[in-house]
Amino acid sequence: MSKKLNILVVDDDAANADSLAELFELDNHRVIVAYDGQQAVEAFSMNKVDVGFFDVMMPNKNGVESFMEIKAMNPDARVYFMTGFSADDLLDMAIKGGAMGVFSKPVDLVRLLKTVEREAA
Amino acid sequence: MADRLTDSKVLLSILDNLPTSIFVKDEDLKFVYSNALHCHMIGKSEAELLGKCDFDFYPDADAAGFATHDTDVIDRGEESISEEMARREDGMCMPVLTRKARLAGPDGKVYLIGTNSDLTDIRKRENQYKALSETVPVAVAQIDESLEISFANPLFNAYCGGDGSEMDHSRLITKLQEVNPGFPGQPCKFEAVVQGLGNQPRTVIVVSSGWLELGDTIRSATVSLIDISQMSELQRINEEVSRLNRELAANMRKLSDAQDELIKKGRMEQLGQLTATVAHELRNPLGAVRTSAFLLERKLKGKGLGVEAQIERINKGIVRCDNIITQLLDFSRSKQLHCQPGDLDEWLTSIVEEEAKKLPAIVEVELLLGLSGQTFPFDPARMQRAVINMISNAVEAMVGTPDQPAAKPTAIPKLMISTFVKQGHVSVRVVDNGPGIPPDVLKRIREPLFTTKSFGTGLGVPAIEQIAVQHGGRLDIRSEVGAGSVFTMWLPTEAKQAAAETRAA
Repeated sequence: MSKKLNILVVDDDAANADSLAELFELDNHRVIVAYDGQQAVEAFSMNKVDVGFFDVMMPNKNGVESFMEIKAMNPDARVYFMTGFSADDLLDMAIKGGAMGVFSKPVDLVRLLKTVEREAA
Repeated sequence: MADRLTDSKVLLSILDNLPTSIFVKDEDLKFVYSNALHCHMIGKSEAELLGKCDFDFYPDADAAGFATHDTDVIDRGEESISEEMARREDGMCMPVLTRKARLAGPDGKVYLIGTNSDLTDIRKRENQYKALSETVPVAVAQIDESLEISFANPLFNAYCGGDGSEMDHSRLITKLQEVNPGFPGQPCKFEAVVQGLGNQPRTVIVVSSGWLELGDTIRSATVSLIDISQMSELQRINEEVSRLNRELAANMRKLSDAQDELIKKGRMEQLGQLTATVAHELRNPLGAVRTSAFLLERKLKGKGLGVEAQIERINKGIVRCDNIITQLLDFSRSKQLHCQPGDLDEWLTSIVEEEAKKLPAIVEVELLLGLSGQTFPFDPARMQRAVINMISNAVEAMVGTPDQPAAKPTAIPKLMISTFVKQGHVSVRVVDNGPGIPPDVLKRIREPLFTTKSFGTGLGVPAIEQIAVQHGGRLDIRSEVGAGSVFTMWLPTEAKQAAAETRAA
């Protein structure tokens, strides 16, 4: 039996964020939802987060910027990105900064759940 | 007639009607005979003339000259020919050619017989010729067989570069003979460069009549030189203007092309930005729909509600939307290529194997590799899109898609993918034996958004072409209705995409 994770889902598209949260909750994970980059940084600093799934393009602070801030605070942070189109420069920066991987939207849910399973193992 | 000539009246009458003035003087140089024309020339009747001498009719200076001349002829018996000005008392004056000879009279005395020919008309004509030869813009000369110049107008002398002395003449003749050895004896016309006034080189057309019999013992040729330097200059200016015109036209064309490119690039950039925004905006809700459908499926599983088909339909719709977005992004993306030299055959094998798994089993796939491990620069991500587009177009033409099978599927669908090098280009070719493309469709197949498929975006072929052009190559499409289609991407063997970037971007 895999362990239950604290998962941070970050997406300015609430329908996306909320439906993903519901999906993870169905597998009994604890999910925190943030709707922009700033909220993501705050959520990470206030909670114990095992893994994060971040949208890239968001208002206020984009996903990669907030990831870099989080990485600076917590070098062990594990974050995957989800993107609607390839913002190559940003994603290159994220991968170099230690991101775990990239999902293209609409996210392949089978692959996503396998990733969560691996994280929980 | 012979009888009549013995009649002195008849003889005198003949002499009076000759167009030559005739006079006879005795040893004392007094007139003893004058025919009618001579009387007319001097302006006196014969009666007034006879027994008088030149001093009675001409100014003293003239008369003294005539007298010396006359004495010489009578004393020495030598015929004399001279040109003289005959001035009458009334002031009339005319040039005459005077011939004088000693005549032994039947009376044993010595006489002088003289004739005067009026040179007025000849002089007049000579003056006309002289004025003409001095004013025409043509150099004229008469050259005889010994290559001496018997006549040259001032312009001809100018071409000789001097005052018209013989040495200068011969230099010009030698020069012209170097250009045309037949000059001046053979009739000819040729172009030459000679020194004009101030040693300026002038281009002239030289025309020679060739040797002509002009009544002299020695033959001569009439030669003219026509200056065409100005014409050459005009021609040069004309050619220069034509060249500039051609250059201008070419530049205008380039400018117009550049403008078209800018407009196209501007449009593509707009389209690229719009597509990026739309893609992002569509994929977010698509993600939410997919996740929600997934949640529904999980939550309803085993409840016997029979909604599996509906959920499947939602998922297929999501995949189709996503594919359309991917194609739009692919086509409108103006980003730089990421080319790297690679084994195109090896790479293609893996792509085709991957794609072949997704194709209906009935489609036979043949891969003919002809690059023998050579490496070529290409962007794998972009090339993959192009190859997949070519393969899916071919397969859709032959059998359709699982959702929309072809109305008349090809009985034994066969897909042949090949690579080869030809004329400095590496080619990736996809051949199918489908129904072929009708000519009216073939004409428009490269237009973005043109499609004949109910599920198409009209961006598949434009994207293939765009990718070929971005690589510095091109796309060839051949098709025969009822036989199939051939799509060939021609790519340069060397990296050329940098130059093509601005065109294709």
